[in-house]
Amino acid sequence: MIRGALLITWGWIVLWSVISGRLDLLLRGVFHGLVGISGAALLLAGVVLLIRQRGRYERLPWAWWSSAAIALLVLLVPPNPSFSDLAESRPQGLPEPPELAFVLPPEQRTLTEWVRLLRSQQDPDLVDGNPVNISGFVWTQQSGPPLIARLTVRCCLADATPAGLPVHWPEGFIPNTNQWLSIQGEMVVTTRDEQRVAVVMPKAITPISRPKRPLEP
Amino acid sequence: MPQSLEKLSTAWAIFQGLLLEAIPFLLLGVAIAGLARWLVPQTAWVQRLPKNPLIAPVTGALMGFALPACECGNVPVARRLLASGAPMGTAFGFLFAAPVLNPIVLASTWAAFPDQPWLLIARPLGAFVIAVLLSLLLVQLPDTQLLETALLSERRMSQPLSRIGLLERSGGLIGDAIGKIAPAEPTRPRATDVLDQSSREFLDLLALLVLGCLIAALVQTWLPRSWLLAVGGAPTGSILALMLLAVVVSVCSSVDAFLALGFAAQVTPGALLAFLLLGPVVDLKLAGLFTVLMRPRAIAITAMAASLGVLLIGQWVNLWLL
Repeated sequence: MIRGALLITWGWIVLWSVISGRLDLLLRGVFHGLVGISGAALLLAGVVLLIRQRGRYERLPWAWWSSAAIALLVLLVPPNPSFSDLAESRPQGLPEPPELAFVLPPEQRTLTEWVRLLRSQQDPDLVDGNPVNISGFVWTQQSGPPLIARLTVRCCLADATPAGLPVHWPEGFIPNTNQWLSIQGEMVVTTRDEQRVAVVMPKAITPISRPKRPLEP
Repeated sequence: MPQSLEKLSTAWAIFQGLLLEAIPFLLLGVAIAGLARWLVPQTAWVQRLPKNPLIAPVTGALMGFALPACECGNVPVARRLLASGAPMGTAFGFLFAAPVLNPIVLASTWAAFPDQPWLLIARPLGAFVIAVLLSLLLVQLPDTQLLETALLSERRMSQPLSRIGLLERSGGLIGDAIGKIAPAEPTRPRATDVLDQSSREFLDLLALLVLGCLIAALVQTWLPRSWLLAVGGAPTGSILALMLLAVVVSVCSSVDAFLALGFAAQVTPGALLAFLLLGPVVDLKLAGLFTVLMRPRAIAITAMAASLGVLLIGQWVNLWLL
């Protein structure tokens, strides 16, 4: 009977992760359906077991109890990763740019598309003066000024890879690590470390709350 | 928030991501194992699998195409094969090759590296070679040193000898030899019995998966990935670094090609292949799951032999391509 209850607990946690939107913070969207189906299947199996074993007691191994305790912790303590911390411990590396990044008008490009575009072409002057309308979190690096960044995932948070853009922060503005910002401005070309690089020159910076789906594919 | 708490919070999120991503595949594996038990009464077909030491692992490796799941899903299926009395070589060949030799993983590798055709051939080929070698190596161990105790007992129950009572065995110490005994007709278990057994199997494996994901998340948070990739350009160093990364990251084989894509430009081709070959066989998340199949010594032998094999393949690829 308790085994059925354990399966229901896990099934509920898995299903609830999908319903509550928690998965948006943890997994790439393509896997959400699969997770939801497995949660429903676990719930169903648990209910069947519960009915079948009604009134029967069985001794459960300690490992099952431990995993049940972890399950409750998962339910009670929501994930709250430090995006800046994640970004800092991983090298930047995005897949080849999709054609979309080149087709879209500059003001419609997301931060990730901008990074892909700038990596794929060597001459930053080609984007000089382009309007920019992006959002991301503040990535404080160990060296150098903070970047505006996004995390991309292929699978789950474990393989998150950062994509960051340098910003010409206004005088007196100190961006807080992990703070989400929306930036409107334009791309300008400047020289940093003896290299010509494209930098976001903000005209307006607005603090925003973390988006519902903060991870990008 | 203090930095150590921030890191702990990040590790907790990584743990949840890994766990929630792996649970569907684990469930799929347990469901397939349960379905096989129900549809095909025990020992009916596994006894017919080839027992030849060379052909058995090859058969097992090729059986991977029947299960489109990652390494978490293969463990329950391999356990069921072993418990039902399948030849060791076949079961281990399946266990080690199926995470790569399956349609989803091959499709994802192709999707991630359409411009690197050599990888599309080298990955399945390398996985096949590693699986066959590991199987050939492990079957050299006596059953008692290889298989986990409960699994060994279960396997012995399915051996043909167990169908015949001690007093009935010809050549026994007691009584005379008797005529040929007709083998017992396999009976199909009830669906509720299969559910009962599968639920136990799932909860056993889930507890180990939780442990593996916890370890992987903690190690990943406190060991910066950039350290591992710092040696990316060195032929041997890059292979070793990417092998360590594969063990630490513990991402499912169905998506690891996309992860590899992220640092493909920074490392040698041999290191890239090593990452794609080792992760499906040895990683922190799997370490716990393997304890339902093998004894610790056999797990250690698997990890060492797989690492050595992958290192040699990686070196050879670097010599060939660099």
